[in-house]
Amino acid sequence: MAKSTRPMVRIHDLATDEVIDREMNDAEFETWKADQAAQAIAEAQAKVKENAKAAILDRIGLTADELKTILG
Amino acid sequence: MATTTNYGWTTPDDTALVKDGASAIRTLGTSVDTTTKNLNPSTTLGDIEYRSSTANTNTRVGIGSSGQALTVVAGVPSWAASATSTLTTTGDTIYASAANTLARRAIGSTGDVLTVSGGLPTWAAPAAGGGFTSIATGSLSGTTTTISSIVQTYKHLYLVVKGAQLVTTAALPCFRLNGDSSSIYSNFRITYDSTVVNASGALAFIRTSGSNIPLTSNSRTLVLYIENYTQTQIKPITSRFASDTSGGDSCNIVFSNYNSTTAITSIGITTDTAQTFSAGTYILYGVN
Repeated sequence: MAKSTRPMVRIHDLATDEVIDREMNDAEFETWKADQAAQAIAEAQAKVKENAKAAILDRIGLTADELKTILG
Repeated sequence: MATTTNYGWTTPDDTALVKDGASAIRTLGTSVDTTTKNLNPSTTLGDIEYRSSTANTNTRVGIGSSGQALTVVAGVPSWAASATSTLTTTGDTIYASAANTLARRAIGSTGDVLTVSGGLPTWAAPAAGGGFTSIATGSLSGTTTTISSIVQTYKHLYLVVKGAQLVTTAALPCFRLNGDSSSIYSNFRITYDSTVVNASGALAFIRTSGSNIPLTSNSRTLVLYIENYTQTQIKPITSRFASDTSGGDSCNIVFSNYNSTTAITSIGITTDTAQTFSAGTYILYGVN
C-alpha cells in the first residue's frame, strides 16, 4: 500500500456519530498548503522585525533585557 | 257508571243488569290490561322504567353499556358514560371535554409530562430546560479534528478541549468554523496581566492563544463559546486558553469575529501551522 502523502484529518459527524480518520481531500490539502505558506511568510516577517530590533539595540549598546528594565 | 278510585276503571253500578255483566267484566279487564301495560312497558332484559309526564304511564329505558352509570338528562333518568366506562386502557386519565362531559386521555410516552394544549390536558415531551447538554465527545487526531453536522436545536455552543498535545512541533491552538479558511476571522487577545494585548484582523482562523500546544502531556484547557450559532447574523465568539505554566501567556481570552452570517454547522480544532495532534479530548455542549 502506498504511504500516505497528505496529512490526516479526523471528522466526527454528529448526524451519524461516526468518526472517520482520512487523508485530506483536495480542497483541504490546498487550504493546508496555503496555511503553510502564510505561516512561512508570517515567520519571515517576524524574523525581519526581530533582526531590525536587535540591530537598533546593538547600535545604542543595550541588550533586550536592559531595554525591558528601562521600559518596565 | 261507577269507576275505581285510583285508575278510573269502569265497573258496573249496583243497579246494573246481570245480563250486562259479561260486557262489564270485559271492559274492566281491558282497562286493567291497558293500565298494567302502561305501568310496565319493559320489553327487554335490564330495562328500567320511570314515571313519565303522563299520569299512570311509565317510560322504558333500555339498559346501558357495561360500566355506564345512571344519570339525569332533561329531568329524566338516562344511562351515560361513567368514569369506569370512559377508562378503557391502562394508563388512561379522565377529564372534562365540556361541562359535565367525561373524556379519556390515553397515556403518553415514557418521559412525557402533562401539559395543556387548546385548553385541554395532553401528554407531551418536556421542553428542554436551560443548561448544558453534551452533544459530542471524542479525541483529537490528525492535523484537524472537525465536529460536523452540529444540530441546530440549541441557542449556543460551548466546546472544551483538554490536554491537547502535538507530535513534532508546538503550535498555537486555532479553530475554523464551517470549514471556512478565508481570511475573515478577527481576534482581540488579552493575556493574564494584560502585558499582551493583541489585535489581529483578517486571519484564516480563530487563534485562541499566544501560548503553544506542547509536545508533552499537559492539563491545558481550551474553551470556545459561540453565541446564537444558528442565527444568520454575525455571531459573538469568545475563546479562552488556560495553560499549566505560570506567567507569560498562561491565560488568554480572545474575542473573535467570524465575519459570516452563515449558521455554524461544523467546528474544526486545529493549530496555526496545522500540526498533527497526538492527544487531547473534546466535549461539545449545546447550551440553552
